[in-house]
Amino acid sequence: MFKLLKSKWFWLILVVVIGAFITMNQTSLPREDITLLEKAVHGIYTPLQNGINDIRGHWGYIGDLVSDKRTLQNRINELEKRNIQMAIDNQALREYEAQAKRLQELLEFKEDNLDIYDLQAAAIIARSPNNWNKTVLINVGANAGIQRGMPVIHPDGLVGRISSVSQNSAQVSLITDREMAVGVILQRSRETNGIVEGTGSSDVLRMNNIPYYSSIEENDRVITSGLSANYPKGIVVGTVSKVNREPSGLLLSAEVKPAVDFDRLEEVLVITNYHPPPVEDEETGE
Amino acid sequence: MYYFILALLPVLSIFLQSTIFHYFSIKGSIPDLVLIFVVFHAVFRGERRGTLYGVFCGLLEDLYIGRFIGVNVLAKGLTGYIMGKAQGNVFKENLWVGIITVVAGTFINSLVVAVLLMANGTVLDLEVVYSVLYQCLYNLLLAGPIYIWYYYYIYDGLMRAAGEN
Repeated sequence: MFKLLKSKWFWLILVVVIGAFITMNQTSLPREDITLLEKAVHGIYTPLQNGINDIRGHWGYIGDLVSDKRTLQNRINELEKRNIQMAIDNQALREYEAQAKRLQELLEFKEDNLDIYDLQAAAIIARSPNNWNKTVLINVGANAGIQRGMPVIHPDGLVGRISSVSQNSAQVSLITDREMAVGVILQRSRETNGIVEGTGSSDVLRMNNIPYYSSIEENDRVITSGLSANYPKGIVVGTVSKVNREPSGLLLSAEVKPAVDFDRLEEVLVITNYHPPPVEDEETGE
Repeated sequence: MYYFILALLPVLSIFLQSTIFHYFSIKGSIPDLVLIFVVFHAVFRGERRGTLYGVFCGLLEDLYIGRFIGVNVLAKGLTGYIMGKAQGNVFKENLWVGIITVVAGTFINSLVVAVLLMANGTVLDLEVVYSVLYQCLYNLLLAGPIYIWYYYYIYDGLMRAAGEN
């Protein structure tokens, strides 16, 4: 025993273990700012990851040049068809928009549509180097006005939040990360409140705390409720793929398929001017 | 030069794991090259150097991730220690040594990370088991070629150059 106490090796390991537990505890919750050492590490990696991303982009361009003309023509035809359909949808939606605005003015509703937000486009240059964390690194940082906590979206739906910022890059925690939780409602019923949590898998999220009397069904669209104050209201999170009854019988849980294809995600949009609304009585879900 | 390459290996591995390996992931799982190098270092150099190298590589990975800093320090440090302890009984010329130690190392490392994350309040479910199994499969595929490269270039070549054999 005393021999062990005299060993430098023993003390070194003890210091490392205690130090690791302290830093783990200190960094388990979101921090205001990351340390200089972490910024230095990101500073080394960001240019390299940017380079790989550029090469990949050019490679894709070269691939397009040599690909079959017929394949490209088919793709153009398909896109043209989709474009026509979207133009028709757009026309119908504009009518609804005008109608909604009239009703909002009538009811003195505060506008919370996505079109009032400033969006900063960003490319994904790297992903988490392990399977435990679901994060991505984007090519804009403090220099472009990015701050911790800003919501990140994609035309398909919600992506996540900025979790740390360096000079020229920022880390986004995806909603599929196990540490992430989003307050949601069902788009159809507007009643069912729940919390969507990441499972670590990129194609399934879990929706918890759903009251047993909810009219939740498969294929229901899940959108942000705006209650968690981290995300604007009304962003698509995913669709319900399976509903389960919890063992207690009082609550339901559901599996949600994310709207965004996280494995193929290449570009995202950061909402740079979102300020959470003050909590009002009408928003407490009563 | 020897120490420079040792330090460069985890830096390069994290770069590859955060970029290129994601284009070739198996069911969303990527390999842990950093762990493979920690295991091989421990197998060739014993438990003390294996532990220190594991701590160094884990710290680099933790600083890059920026969350729960210390998890990989402990997980890779302990994996390095256990693999280093086991190395006295094996013939390093056998390729199976590289493959089996990497598989064992992947399970030990994952188990330690899972226990530490759960102790910090993270909820883990069955998805983790699948993710670890896929990573194990990926690590297993890479272990053979990397072991051969490591044996001839790092162990044999550089050790002699550094006069440490």
